[in-house]
Amino acid sequence: MTDTMETTKSAPKSRLAKFWDSDFAWSFRHSPVAVIASLVVVVLVLAAIFAPLIAPYNPFDPATLNLMNGFTPPGTPNAFTQETFLLGTDDQGRDVFSTILYGLRISLFVGVSAVLLALIIGVILGLIAAYFGGWIETLIMRIADVQLTFPAILVAMLIFGIAKGITPPEYRDEMAIYVLIIAIALSDWVQFARVVRGAALVEKNKEYVQAARLIGRGSFPIMFRHILPNVLSPVLVIATISLALAIIAEATLSFLGVGAPPTQPSLGTLIRIGQGFLFSGEWWILFFPACTLLALALSVNLLGDWLRDALNPKLR
Amino acid sequence: MILRNSAIGLTMLLVGTAQAAEFKWASTTDPQTMDPHAVNSAPVLGFLNNVYEGLVRRGKDMSVEPALAVSWEPIGDGEGWRFKLREGVTFHDGSSFDAQDVLFSYQRASGEAADTRSWFAPVSEVKVVDDYTVDFMTTTPNPLFPSSIANWMIMDQGWTEANDAVVPDKETGNYATINANGTGAFKVTEREPGLKTVLEPFGGWWGDAEHNITRAEFNPIQNPATAVAALLSGDVDMINPVPIQDVARLQQNGDVNVIQGIEARVIMLGFSHDAETLKYTDDAGKPNPFRDARVRKAVAQAVNVDAILATIMRGNAEPASQLVSPAMSGYSGANADRPAFDVEAAKALLAEAGYADGFSFGLKCPNDRYLNDEAVCQAVVGMLAQIGITAELDAMPVRNYWPELREDNYDMYLLGWSPGTFDAEHPVRFLVATPNEEKKLGSWNFGGFSNARVDELLPMIQSELDQAKRQAMLDEVAAIIQDEQVYVPMYVQPLVWGTRSNVELTQRPDNFFLLRWVTVN
Amino acid sequence: MFAYIVRRMFQSVIVLLVVGLVAFSMFRFVGDPIDNMLGQERTQADIDRLRTELGLDQPFVVQYAKFLQGAVQGNFGVSYRQGRPVSTILIERAPATLELAFVSGFLAITLGIALGVFTAIRRQGIAANVIMTVSLIGVSLPTFLIGILLIYIFSVELDLLPSFGRGETVMIGSWSTGFLTASGLKALILPAITLGLYQMTLIMRLVRSEMLEVLRADYVRFARARGLSERVINFRHALKNTLVPVITITGLQLGSIIAFAIITETVFQWPGVGLLFINAIQFVDIPVMAAYLMLISVMFVTINLIVDLLYYAIDPRLRVDARAT
Repeated sequence: MTDTMETTKSAPKSRLAKFWDSDFAWSFRHSPVAVIASLVVVVLVLAAIFAPLIAPYNPFDPATLNLMNGFTPPGTPNAFTQETFLLGTDDQGRDVFSTILYGLRISLFVGVSAVLLALIIGVILGLIAAYFGGWIETLIMRIADVQLTFPAILVAMLIFGIAKGITPPEYRDEMAIYVLIIAIALSDWVQFARVVRGAALVEKNKEYVQAARLIGRGSFPIMFRHILPNVLSPVLVIATISLALAIIAEATLSFLGVGAPPTQPSLGTLIRIGQGFLFSGEWWILFFPACTLLALALSVNLLGDWLRDALNPKLR
Repeated sequence: MILRNSAIGLTMLLVGTAQAAEFKWASTTDPQTMDPHAVNSAPVLGFLNNVYEGLVRRGKDMSVEPALAVSWEPIGDGEGWRFKLREGVTFHDGSSFDAQDVLFSYQRASGEAADTRSWFAPVSEVKVVDDYTVDFMTTTPNPLFPSSIANWMIMDQGWTEANDAVVPDKETGNYATINANGTGAFKVTEREPGLKTVLEPFGGWWGDAEHNITRAEFNPIQNPATAVAALLSGDVDMINPVPIQDVARLQQNGDVNVIQGIEARVIMLGFSHDAETLKYTDDAGKPNPFRDARVRKAVAQAVNVDAILATIMRGNAEPASQLVSPAMSGYSGANADRPAFDVEAAKALLAEAGYADGFSFGLKCPNDRYLNDEAVCQAVVGMLAQIGITAELDAMPVRNYWPELREDNYDMYLLGWSPGTFDAEHPVRFLVATPNEEKKLGSWNFGGFSNARVDELLPMIQSELDQAKRQAMLDEVAAIIQDEQVYVPMYVQPLVWGTRSNVELTQRPDNFFLLRWVTVN
Repeated sequence: MFAYIVRRMFQSVIVLLVVGLVAFSMFRFVGDPIDNMLGQERTQADIDRLRTELGLDQPFVVQYAKFLQGAVQGNFGVSYRQGRPVSTILIERAPATLELAFVSGFLAITLGIALGVFTAIRRQGIAANVIMTVSLIGVSLPTFLIGILLIYIFSVELDLLPSFGRGETVMIGSWSTGFLTASGLKALILPAITLGLYQMTLIMRLVRSEMLEVLRADYVRFARARGLSERVINFRHALKNTLVPVITITGLQLGSIIAFAIITETVFQWPGVGLLFINAIQFVDIPVMAAYLMLISVMFVTINLIVDLLYYAIDPRLRVDARAT
């Protein structure tokens, strides 16, 4: 009894200890930038996940809004309603703090989903292109060329338009977010495909792949079991940087008029709305969402930087 | 009389040249053409009013005054109108103006390809009596005809024919699309579509210059924040419009002035009147509640217009009770009251109509058409939520918006209407009359509202010469529209222009900016 | 080699054709051009007539075929918005975008390489880490916000630089240049920074990581062992070897500078093709959108082709590959 307790307890501990002692973890512990950046990311992600518990108001419920609360400066009572808000309110009388938390949820959801989707499409197509070569490779890489031609903004607008045309009216409201995800993913998969193809082309001719082929393993097991793990580190780095880019791309799309619905604003939509108040003195409507986005994107980018160095064996 | 006028003009001209100045201004849209008959839109007509002139024009207070015609009078019992033309007027290229140019411009502006041809629907024939007299015959008595052609601009027959631009062409463009030859106070000296248009005073203008501009440059600037920055940094002397939220800050700035006025445009909510069911709802297949006037009234009482004006519009707009603002002719003073904001009354109306538990529906809204349109719609969503009806807001650019409305993809929508004739009859014709393609009625009545009495009164209003009788009929129509709550008029959109503090100018309610009233000190 | 080029050219033409087809199949989803071309008092009959005249009532394949027919003869149609030939408009607008792209590309490359080398050599230094972090701010905020903030600081608050447009330009033949006037040069600064910031950060990071790898390579260690000075090692040996990947990536980025110019040009009202494209979307100006997309795809396809050929020339291993496929 005691013995089993010991083993079950010690096994994960030793695995954790092993990880703690690894080069990877060591380089993490000795990089204050990486530690702080990951702390910021963790705090922001937790804040987004638990937004309904943390946020004092639900800004996505129009019934709770009072327009007369609009434009309340941070920490000072509103002239009409005498209510006070930590970070002030926006033009609709929404509490900026709560709206940021809820907006962060949407931005993170859009960013993570878009990058995952782009990664899956890009990795699969890149591997196939590299492994099979020939006309398949040509086809995939030329599709990538077509894709590169369309500015992300246009891709997003077109997908918006098409989705509007084909979805039944009653689902259109929820649709906007998914359209954003698809649009950003579609303009992002090419770089994954290119990197994976490049790396896989090199791996493909290495002995271990030749060996696997000789013992008669199928194409797909070789691609995904053998080649994929060896090309993952550049993919991971790109994914991190793409995450930051996707969150910003969503903000840019919102600036150009295709973004999250204004009744359920993302961080990007908040910034787009807020930039209209830059000259009018209501700085808090822009400043706090912009700072949150900056903190998130900067931390993710810094993590990406650190990851790039840490995963590069030549730099050890 | 004429002598005295030109004497004053001379002194003003002298003063003007003493402080001659360059002037730069910016607005969100570039006039897409220099052809005054190709596109009937405010940015085009407003801009071209500096270059071209009509028989009549509007003064600073919108009153109709002589321009290329010196006087006009009805013919017989309202069979038409006779215009006496101004003599000695020349076009920018030096050719002289006479009755043939008027006839030519009539044919050009009323032709199939012209976007202005609806203005001439009442005209049956145009007769040149002599070189400086023209008769416009109308099918029925038409008291408003002279003011309805205030934006009809006269082109030179010789110039237009020589440059192969007899028919306006908005599809492929022609010489008149980028070049202009009017009789107005300013001539176009440089035109780079979408970027820059340069105007210079026309030395041979018949009128008295009230400005001191030697050169004026127009640049379109789309991004509102960039436009405000350009004004603040002095890169431009005037911008139109100023974003509402920046008004207070700009007013405190000593270098710039904000000029505010009430525009003719009324912002309102429209409903689907003829649809059997709601399009965007969680309980599909339920009958369309907006067919019930009580539900429409409940909406009117639930929308707190004062709160919208106080916050989103920052006190820069007036509430509206009907489809036109009080500044328009034919406004019904008898129906000046808005339904009061009263959540309890609205809930009671809903309950009475059988919707005590509320319902959900779709609200369509443009996000780049009217001042703060998207924010206003958001606020409306919040206010309707207070009485238990849930609106799903879909805000989109105007290029997608009108097609959606035409295809009836809405349950409720936002609309702004500016009456081109500055008369209360205009919105009735376009927004309330039963849609009738042949008679060109109700072409913007998307919801398909239909009322026999309104349809009966409209032609009578159009041909009534007696002002009191006409007003009585307009009052009756306004009362029907209010009783039925065909639309929920919310407010009259404000006009907000920003200038450098050394600029004096006149803001006209139709949002036309005329260089001939600008003084740079 | 020749066969390879011919095959790639053929593929490029197919890419162009597909781009056009995809574009035309989607234009109707961008919006309806009719409402911008007719005034408030239009009737349904006017709408239908104009639609027929523009050929919008025809299936997109027919519209595309017509466009191609014209495009082959160098005729890209007439802009719905401006009523002028699209080719004239594009020629008018291209210099503004190309000059902006050139200046921001130049800034990005010179600053990117210089800072990249610096941060690689002083890897652990405080200054290098500050540069690395601060440069990330440029890519952690949306471009439009950076542009608006720059305008706010440098034109409104400090009143040093113009807030919009290109300043005065001089015509050299049919090319309008802003390089020859003081106001033209001043007008370039803010948009060039806004546009170049992202590329600069990217190039800097790329140079840094390549440098770090090269500096650990055996031949550099030998050079150091031979007692060569740090400067000679850093610049003659290390930098030279990092430049090959940097040049190829930079080439690819050239295309994205022009694509990114859309946002920058909108914020600064810069009269280039990007602004033209945004306007074309706003007014659903199909001929302009189509011509712009074709132009951009010609550019991307050409750049891709050149980059692939460069690889082919530089890396002998790929030559075997190319022959095999």
